[in-house]
Amino acid sequence: MSQQPKIKVTLLIIAFSLAVVYGVKFFLGIMPQNTLSSGQTRAKGDKGAAIQITEFIDLECPACARGAEYLGRIMAEHPAEIRLELKYFPLPSHRHGFLAARYAECAARQGKFWPFHDALIARQPNWSRLTDATPAFALIAKEILLDPGRLEVCLNDKSVDALIQESHLEGERRGVKSTPTYYVNGKMVVGLQSLEPELVRLLAEIKK
Amino acid sequence: MVCNLWSPNLFDCLRKLKNSRYPLSRIMIGGLFVVSGFEKLVGPYQNFLYVIQNYSFLPFFLGEIAARLLPWSEFFLGIFLVLGLWTKWTLRAVMALLLMFMGVVIQALIRQLPITECGCFGGLISFPLPVILALDTTVFVFAWFLSFRMEEAERCSLDRYLARNESA
Repeated sequence: MSQQPKIKVTLLIIAFSLAVVYGVKFFLGIMPQNTLSSGQTRAKGDKGAAIQITEFIDLECPACARGAEYLGRIMAEHPAEIRLELKYFPLPSHRHGFLAARYAECAARQGKFWPFHDALIARQPNWSRLTDATPAFALIAKEILLDPGRLEVCLNDKSVDALIQESHLEGERRGVKSTPTYYVNGKMVVGLQSLEPELVRLLAEIKK
Repeated sequence: MVCNLWSPNLFDCLRKLKNSRYPLSRIMIGGLFVVSGFEKLVGPYQNFLYVIQNYSFLPFFLGEIAARLLPWSEFFLGIFLVLGLWTKWTLRAVMALLLMFMGVVIQALIRQLPITECGCFGGLISFPLPVILALDTTVFVFAWFLSFRMEEAERCSLDRYLARNESA
């Protein structure tokens, strides 16, 4: 039996399938993307740095903690070359993720996002195991000298939740599924294993 | 013929349903692959690369190649199986893929890698590793069984339709 009609049908099906996949990708790609203004309090590093990183983070995710440690180290080694901005992406699988983001945002509103973030990351193995992490977060807030009155008001402020949800939505629109997801100079990089070679490559390019 | 419990010809209906189990199995296996591949394809490939990296069995550059190619393979094999195109070869390729998935999951279980969700269906649904191993094994057994019943599995297929048109 001649295979020619079968090959023709196969090619037709492949072409049609490609059109469907790329059509859907195109449709998803034209969704509005950068809706959140860049929050200065959740960013560190030189504004004009050659390497701009935006990270979608879940403060309870262990891989994000490893990523934060690595970024802290590499940013200390190359302070002028890297700028990092964090965006909240609490995952539903992490029971304290949203609350941690809420506390972090309230710390940001008192200009102490990074001390709070660093303490949160350092102690993540401890508080992530708790049934109720509120006392652990309150303790960190006390240690970094957050104003308790302002913190209380902020924690009940609906705009904080709205901002976290907006940040999460922005991530979803960009195709973020897991954390940590980084955008290094606009290029999506998921996980530390991919971030390391990307940063090494970019730093080597800068040195040339 | 309308088939329900009250059909006067229930016995015929049941026999007809029994006969359609092979093409139905073929279509269901294909559908599973289509959904799995499509979900990964419409999102950024980096998400699937992250899943592959979590299984720690491939060097970085191979992981990148796999993250780009595997979803397309799943998608096209699924479509071919649903439509019944190159059924014999597609079924073999699907079995090979399933064996590979099972191997990857088994090594992750033996090494006790900290993977809580398999990531096999992108972000659509997720299963713990033992569940996905059971699912893969079940699908593999079905596919293997179908490969011995090609005559029946090719019912309602493009292969059969094209062959009939060719001979007419």
